[in-house]
Amino acid sequence: MMMDRRTFIKAVGVLGASLFLQTYKSDMAKALNELPETKIVWLHGVECTGCSISMLDGESPDIVELLQIFNLNLLYQEVLMMQQGIFVDGKPANNSELNSEILLDEILEHERGYILISEGGVPNGPDGSGKYLILGGRPYKEVYERAAKNASVIVAIGQCATHSGVNAAESDVSELLDHRGIAFTLEDSSKGIVDLLSINTPVININGCPAHPDWVFLTIGALALRKIRVPEDLPEVLDRWKRPKVFYPPDHTVHDNCPRRGFYDRGEFDLTVGGEKCLWKLGCKGPYSHADCATRHWNGHRNFCPQAGSPCIGCVQAGFPDSTRPFYVEIEDTGIVGTDLDTIAGVAIGGALLAAGAHAIRRTVLKKPEEKKDISEEHAPEKTGDEK
Amino acid sequence: MVQVTVDPVSRIEGHYRINTEVDGDGVITDAQSNALLFRGFERLLQKHDPRDAALMTERICGVCPVCHSIAAANALDDLFGVADQVPKDALVMRNIHQGMNLIASHAAHIYVLWGPDLANPAYHDILIQHGDMGSAVWGELSGRFAPLVNQYNGIRHPAGSSYLGAIGELRRLHEAISLFGGKMPHSVLQHVGGVVYSPHIGDIGELAAYVSKTAEFVETFTLGVSPDTWIENTYRASSPQNAVDFLLERLQELLGNSLASNDFSHSSGWGDVPLFAAFGSELIGEQLLDLPISMKMDRAGGYSDPDKIGFLSYGLFFKPEKGDGYDPGSPADDRVIPSGHMNGHLELEEFDYRKISENITHSFYVDEEEDRAPWNGITVPEGDPDKINYTGGSESRYSWAKAPHYDGIPCEVGPLARLLIMGEPLTTGLVRAFEENGYSPANNYTRMIARMQEILVVIPELMKWILQDLEPDAKVAVHTDLSMAKDSEGMGLWEAPRGALGHWIATGPDSMTTLYQAVVPSTWNLAPRNAQGIPSPVEQALIGTKISAAENALGVDYANPLGILHTARSYDPCLACAVHTIDRTGKHPDQIIRVL
Repeated sequence: MMMDRRTFIKAVGVLGASLFLQTYKSDMAKALNELPETKIVWLHGVECTGCSISMLDGESPDIVELLQIFNLNLLYQEVLMMQQGIFVDGKPANNSELNSEILLDEILEHERGYILISEGGVPNGPDGSGKYLILGGRPYKEVYERAAKNASVIVAIGQCATHSGVNAAESDVSELLDHRGIAFTLEDSSKGIVDLLSINTPVININGCPAHPDWVFLTIGALALRKIRVPEDLPEVLDRWKRPKVFYPPDHTVHDNCPRRGFYDRGEFDLTVGGEKCLWKLGCKGPYSHADCATRHWNGHRNFCPQAGSPCIGCVQAGFPDSTRPFYVEIEDTGIVGTDLDTIAGVAIGGALLAAGAHAIRRTVLKKPEEKKDISEEHAPEKTGDEK
Repeated sequence: MVQVTVDPVSRIEGHYRINTEVDGDGVITDAQSNALLFRGFERLLQKHDPRDAALMTERICGVCPVCHSIAAANALDDLFGVADQVPKDALVMRNIHQGMNLIASHAAHIYVLWGPDLANPAYHDILIQHGDMGSAVWGELSGRFAPLVNQYNGIRHPAGSSYLGAIGELRRLHEAISLFGGKMPHSVLQHVGGVVYSPHIGDIGELAAYVSKTAEFVETFTLGVSPDTWIENTYRASSPQNAVDFLLERLQELLGNSLASNDFSHSSGWGDVPLFAAFGSELIGEQLLDLPISMKMDRAGGYSDPDKIGFLSYGLFFKPEKGDGYDPGSPADDRVIPSGHMNGHLELEEFDYRKISENITHSFYVDEEEDRAPWNGITVPEGDPDKINYTGGSESRYSWAKAPHYDGIPCEVGPLARLLIMGEPLTTGLVRAFEENGYSPANNYTRMIARMQEILVVIPELMKWILQDLEPDAKVAVHTDLSMAKDSEGMGLWEAPRGALGHWIATGPDSMTTLYQAVVPSTWNLAPRNAQGIPSPVEQALIGTKISAAENALGVDYANPLGILHTARSYDPCLACAVHTIDRTGKHPDQIIRVL
């Protein structure tokens, strides 16, 4: 059976990676015979390499199987390749089998239509020079521009790439640094590097700090199998932050399937860490965080943060970390209500307030008018689709 | 004089460049270590809730996030004044968390980042000159260590067996960490006053099972003998000489079995450590075992002047026997791997934090003072794009890393420093043997053997913490309140897999963070020169090293500079850690962080 896009997306969401592959093995095999290889160029900007490590943590398929199953040709990946940049008296030496700069130049010169995996953001500072990251003697920003313009689609993996994440968090040097996400910087779609450099290549964001390997692998797989056509299918499959809705459901949060949900419904909350109850009062941002962590789980599908006793810190949300810190303070006390908040979160808050009892309700009544206004605005139905 | 530059140095964490001058004999005569990215991490903690520090700072590095979260949690324990009450089981959990990440990080470094250089085509050209044995050894090197993206003479080569096996181990250990840490990388366990998860009895059984599986990998791939046998005769040997004798006897036995057949495979007992131990070293392989050829790693990456180098450890892993609480200022007594300083003549002395300062003479920072203690650090990044230039040579400013020193002398940090300061018998014995035979005691060979050995040292400790020391469903945190952090200071000393790591924090009257400072291992190892012009450890290690494979065995090949690649990567560079900045806000100009 050849799946159409709808079936594919549904299957990915319901089954997870390994079951998905099991179920649709023959479909894959058939597809592979009919499809040419897909080339991948993977660049590292301002990041911590945690997303590369997270991809090595992927299983069923693991990263090696992924390349085989989907007939992918990984052309460039600085953590996983033999090459490095080699210069003798300032001139590139050896050949592309040992020299990454020659390889990169060949790619920039000749390759077209590849998937560009962007790990990390792009430094624009100081003064728009991009010189806070220089690789092989040239600002990364320049290399990125060329690589991005020649790609058929950009898959931004991890929060540093999707929204600049911790690199763009508020500080007294953040303006000077000017580290940019690919399509957004924090929640601002006008500050993505693609806008700045007039890059028209479509962007798919795989949020998270780090990104879950399933989210990345299945997205790449869907692209390689042409189950998601670029750009025509993107408005339907992506949300307003360019995230695949199947992994970051607009109508579903981490809170919905949390194993501690029963405590929440009964109004039983942990007030100090190390307990078993609901983490709401310890600052859990689960009700605001649109991701399937609670059903998919991490690292061999074993666990996720609230199940391990930590409040969710909302690492998939556009404004992370500024929109979700302080991490350990109950959300009604943080002053961050109104940021990246939507219908589902609003409903969850309502529920929590009921559950938390009179104390919380009293606080709600005492909320300042502008905060109330923020909430009612955010109750508007969440917009979807590409609206960059 | 030829200029050979590696830019970027790939297969590391972060963005890094090495520039060298090489003479006509192929010997490196000058070197600069350039950190290429300015990220500005610590500044974003200022004015925020200090309790976020553990989960924020772990995002400095995705390869070793755990050590940052623990160093931060230690600093927070101190800041909130609860370090003396942190429950014993929380400290054991910190050990387990760190131990698993240390093994995973070392495995990633040895196999995924550093190992692929053993499959460099230069070794093919050298080894095939030595008949069937050379060809067989090349077959093992390329068959075990080739990376995922690798092409030679136009043909794609599959990734090596050990390389792929190590990725599986990384995955397994991260899965184990997720059982109590939620996810990995960037797990969520560490918290002021303890940890957030108390394992149940079922978790303990599972954790032990994960570690047993890792021990199986080590037996099959890494050692070729059971880890118990290895540890009994090395880590627990009665003297350094006995540990070295065990290694040599083991290698002789393997050679005796393989010389006729030229079978150096895993299945004939040649684990990755024995293979590297025999064929990696000129002294061990060629001189003591009579092998016709070696990679001569012991000739590269050493220090020529013992007066200009030291070794440093802040101490790692709490001793569970000490019960609840610990002294954040005194890691000498309560750590399994002790703190200490060893000078270049291998003389051990007590570690005194006040002897550390950081210098910015050759860094892209703006400050009227060039030398400051890190807890007094003021760091303003260069904001003029025209002044950011990596090609000005050794006299110029050329890195985003600062240059830390101890009593004015740069120090190597990492597994070699830790195991030497601990007195670990195999490491100590090997280092002495090299010194007695006219080699630099620290070199690319001992640096890598120490990293491999530290995995072995940690496995039995990890099993002990899980099975003996950890109580199920125990109390794992003391209650804290934000008001306890009012006008306070905290220090957290710990070790990253790649070396000494310290976090410092200070707060104001509103309990919000006013200062955050992390002094990290790669800043020590990969710094630029200091004010006196003394090169950093990696720069010293490069100067005097031959540019091409096995001491220029096939002549000088500037275009395949394995001398640079092995040496730079032997420090397990983590540039995201190395480059950071902090300054104190103007609000508390007189604030001094307590240092004990």
